[in-house]
Parts: sequence; structure tokens; C-alpha cells
Amino acid sequence: MTSSSATNSKASSASLVLLGGSIIWSLLAGGFQIISTIKLLIPLLSRLLPISFFSYGRLVPASTFLLTYGWIGAGLLGVLLILAPRISGIPFRHGRFLIVGALLWHLAVLIGFTQILWQGSTGLLSLPYSRSVTAVFFVSFLILGIGISRGLGGTWKSGPLLPRFYLLGALLAFPLGLGTAEIILRQSVAPGSVQIITQLVWHSFFNHLWLTPLALVFLFQLMPSLTGRAVSSLPLGLLAWIATFTLGGWLSNSLASDGPVPAWMQSAGVIATLLFFVAVLGNGVLLRPLLEGKMDEIRRNVALRFLSVGAWAYVSAYAWLAFLSFPGVRQTTAFTMVSSATQTLLCLGFLGCVLTGSIYALLPASRNVGWPSHPALTWHFWCTTIGLAITASSYALAGIFQGLAWSDPGVPLSTISSYLRPFLCTAIVGQALWLVGQIAFSALFFSTVLKLFPKTAPTAVFPISIVDNPDTLQEIYS
Amino acid sequence: MKSTRALILVFLALLFAWIGQVGIGYVQVGRLQPVLNEETNYTEPPVPSGLAQTGARVFASEGCIECHSLSVRGPIGSSDLTRGWGQRRSVPRDYLFREPALVGFARIGPDLSNIGERIKDPAELMMHLYDPRKRKPASTCPPHPWLFEKRIAGPKTENDALPLPQINWKQTIPSYSAKSLVAYLQSLNLSYALPEAPLK
Repeated sequence: MTSSSATNSKASSASLVLLGGSIIWSLLAGGFQIISTIKLLIPLLSRLLPISFFSYGRLVPASTFLLTYGWIGAGLLGVLLILAPRISGIPFRHGRFLIVGALLWHLAVLIGFTQILWQGSTGLLSLPYSRSVTAVFFVSFLILGIGISRGLGGTWKSGPLLPRFYLLGALLAFPLGLGTAEIILRQSVAPGSVQIITQLVWHSFFNHLWLTPLALVFLFQLMPSLTGRAVSSLPLGLLAWIATFTLGGWLSNSLASDGPVPAWMQSAGVIATLLFFVAVLGNGVLLRPLLEGKMDEIRRNVALRFLSVGAWAYVSAYAWLAFLSFPGVRQTTAFTMVSSATQTLLCLGFLGCVLTGSIYALLPASRNVGWPSHPALTWHFWCTTIGLAITASSYALAGIFQGLAWSDPGVPLSTISSYLRPFLCTAIVGQALWLVGQIAFSALFFSTVLKLFPKTAPTAVFPISIVDNPDTLQEIYS
Repeated sequence: MKSTRALILVFLALLFAWIGQVGIGYVQVGRLQPVLNEETNYTEPPVPSGLAQTGARVFASEGCIECHSLSVRGPIGSSDLTRGWGQRRSVPRDYLFREPALVGFARIGPDLSNIGERIKDPAELMMHLYDPRKRKPASTCPPHPWLFEKRIAGPKTENDALPLPQINWKQTIPSYSAKSLVAYLQSLNLSYALPEAPLK
């Protein structure tokens, strides 16, 4: 084995560590989600099992943390470790460091999650863990980020500009956002309301400037590769890219409550959300022609199927956010379950499906294995998509009913709780379906990684061997 | 476009988001000062006690914010004032001494911005924490028995023991966390007027 291939094998191990861990976190998060929703539906359970680490107030932040940092964050970094060297043509050096970085990321998730369950969350938006966990995330991201960003400059040999630029922005947004939020929020620099503004900005950075651009890297990299079609307009793509990074940091303001934030910030948030949606539509316009007339391929190729659902969820999630940001709608739906619907659509729908599609597309190239033609693939796809559709729509309807009921002072609290019950029941069904899908996926993933299946009949492969041959990308994009 | 130019562009965009919101926000609301009430000679909002400040962290760690908001809206487009959750809407100055400053994103239960005014008896709040259904039979709020200790009763009942029947001669005593949480909840009181938010 040459030194380069040995190093790449270590990088591949690092990506496996990240991906394997992320799938385990997703199963835990899915389980916690179901338990917390059941506890909300049947409050008697809290009386029968009065355990501090099992309380609703701890299960909810723990499951959100596991989903965002554990499943999506670690997973996207894992597939980036597979993608980056194959696109840039530059092999990783010091692969062992990448393994350390991957392990550190999971260590941070483990400590953070344990802290939330045992000691409780900090209550801060997207920052529910202690300062020590931030430090571990930082070190891990530094190691992984340096590895991933090698070749981002002029030496990125071939391939499209858009994924590279989205990656560039995402790699910058995470440390800048986390570092600034940590200093402002935990060094007691900011008084009262400024802390709330800071939380909102960091929440925007985390969701719309880090996770969303990372997912867009895969959409713009893999969909052209899988369909063999190029993105039609680079200027439109660049316009959407700069709009994403200029406006993404302002989005959470649109959903803020009236009191603690100055009114102009809410207005700025609304404008930013609407303009951001225009940028999302721009990206949608670029992605749509790639899938046109490709239904057979989408049916046959599970990777493309997940990426297509992810692309639809991307547009839907931001359309939903834009709808919620209208002042009249916000007044009614603020402090309701529509925030859970948004999270489901964004996190499980858009980010989760893009991540899953990327794993299906890239893992075979990385491990030289094919996904087995197995009913588990079908189970995974249908359970995941139907599950998230049921969950998101249940929460959305529950939130709208809840909001309308809150606006009427004649409706008592107990009646509002009873309105929610049918929707919570269907949400539990949706969450359970999603979890069944993830269990099927984990079975597939681990059996494929451990090479328990023969290498025959891969269902998620590239039509041409594109990831190992950057020249083929050149042909598509020329 | 070269990567370096793109990097500079993204960096400026990210900086714009921080400075535009946190920087201008700091200039606008970060320098707010408490207001002197000439009748009582106290400043408003009042500075919370040390116990209440500890309680704010217990409030966050127990995840109360997952079900209760800390922001009264209105009067237009919201029924918060009509529901009796406050006599006026919340404004940035109310959060001056909140550490951590939380607002919440869900209302499974009522808003707590003014809970100190609505429930004045600390014993009632303590009982609600221990078992909400003992105070309100229809409550969906989960009990927090881990914030209380079961201690064998001496010849006299301790002053802060909950008024519950003793089982195996044990009485229920609130822990330091429970006491601080109640102190925090009592400090949540918007019954004072501010120049920008007079009482209704």
C-alpha cells in the first residue's frame, strides 16, 4: 500500500467513525423524541416515572442536540471527508489527526448529551451545553476543517464552483458564530436583551449559515454528478450563494417575540426571511432541470431519491419559514408547535435527506462496496419520508390550532391541551416511522461497512465513475 | 471568482450579521439603565437576589423554558394581557438583570413573566413544583420531586416542610435548588411601570 492510499484509508476510517457515530446518535435522538412526545400526550407518565434525567424538560433539548450536532453535524462532516479529496484530487495528509478529530466530535456530543440529561440544559438557543463542550467542538472542528479545506483554493482541480463556495462559507460560519456567541453569552459581556439577540443570531448561524450551506454542497455536487447534467446558470447560483450568506444570519429574528427585541430587528428579520426564500427559489430553479424527466433514475437510484426529497424539503422548509414570518401569521403562531414543524422540515426533511442521499452515493466509492439490493432500502426510504411528512404536518396543524386558541382569551389552558392530543398521537406515529426507517438504515450501513453482503447489485452507484475521476466532472461542467 | 475573494465576501457578510444585530442592538438596548421609582425610591426593574439568580439557572436546567415563555405580548394581536399574564407587555429593559436571559419558544403552559405577581405565596409555588396536581388537578405540568428531600421528622415539623402527610415519619423538605427556583419565580414580576411601557 502506498503512503497516499494508506493516508486516505485513515481518512476513510475517520469518515466511518463520524458516520457510524452519527447514525447511533440519530437512533437515540429518535427514541428520545418519541418518549418526550408521549410524555406530552400522557402527563401521567411523568407522575409514574418522576426521574430528573427522564423529564420532558431534559429530553427535548437532549434530542434536539443529538439530532443537530450528533446526526446532522457529524454526518455531514463525515461525508465531506469522503467527498473533499476525491473532488480536489488532493489526498489527505496526517490521516490519524482526522480520526482524532472525528473521535473528539463524538466525545463532545457524548459529554454534551450527558450533561443535558444529568445536569440540565443551559437553556440557550442552539448552545445547550457547557463551555468545556464548546472547547472540544472547537478543537475537533479545527482538525476536521483543516483537513476538509485542503484544496479549497486554486488547486481544487476540477468540478463546480458552487459547492466549493458553499463549503467555504460554511467552514467559516461555524467557528465564527460559535466563538462569538460563546464570548458574548458566557463571558457576561452582554446584558439582558443583547443576550437574547445574540442567541437568535447564533441560532441563525448554526441552522442557516452552517448546516444549510453544508447540505447545499452535496446538492450542487452530487445531483449533477448523479444525473449527468450541469447546473444551468452560474451567475444565478452565485447570486443565491451571496444572498444565502448575507441574509442567513438574520433569519431567526423574524420569529422572535415582540418584547425583548427591538421592533426594527423583527422587521429586518421578516425582510431577510422573504429575500432568503427568493435565494432558495433561485437554487430551486437551478436544481429542478437536473431532475426533469429522470423519474426512472430517481426510482432506481436510492441516493438520487433521497437527494430529490432533500431538495424539495429545502424549498418547502424555507417557504414555510417565509409564511410564518408574516406579521399576522407570526402573531398567531409564535410560541406554538409550528416551531417543531419547522425543525422537523428543516432538520429531518432537508438536512437529513440530503445527508442520507450523500451517504448512499459516496460510501460505495469510499469503501469499494455496493449497497445490497435489499428491502431495507425501500423500508428506509418510505418510512423516513412518510414519517417526516406525518410529523411535520401534525406539528404544523397542532401549532395553528394552538395559536388560534391562544388568541382567544375565552379558551382555557386545559382545552388547548386537549386540542393538541390528536395531533400529538399522529406525530408519535410519524416519529416512530422515522425511527423504523433509521433502524433499517443503520442495519444497512453497518452490514455494508462490515461487508456482510456480497458486492453484487449495488443500487446506489454513479452512472459513470465520477468521484474517483475528476476529469468526468470536467466533461459535465465544461 | 477566486476563492480568496469569495472568502473575503463571506467573511464580510458574516460580520455584517453580527455587527448589524448584536452591535447595533448593544447600542440601542445594551446601555439601558434601571429607572428610579420616585414613590418607592427603588429602581425598576429590581435587582434580583442572589438566590433568585441561582434559581434562574435551575429554571434553565430543569427545562421549564420548553413549556413556558417569558415574554408578555400585546395589547394588539395577542390575548396575553386579557388572560391576566401581565398588566403590560414586556420590553427590553425588563430583561436587564436576567442571567441567562431567556424568552422561550413554546407555550404548553402559561407565560411566567409575571408569575411572582400572580402567585404571591412561596408555599403555593413550592407545592406546585413538588406536585402540580395537588394545586391544580387538571395541570399537565410534570412534578419535580427530585428537587425535594425526604427527611425523618424530628419532634417538631421543620418550618419549610411541605404540608403533606408524613409516610414512615418522613417529611418533604425543599432542597436549595427548589428554594432558589421559587425565589426566581417570585422575582418574575412585571407589576411596575416603565416610561416605555406604562401599566394598562
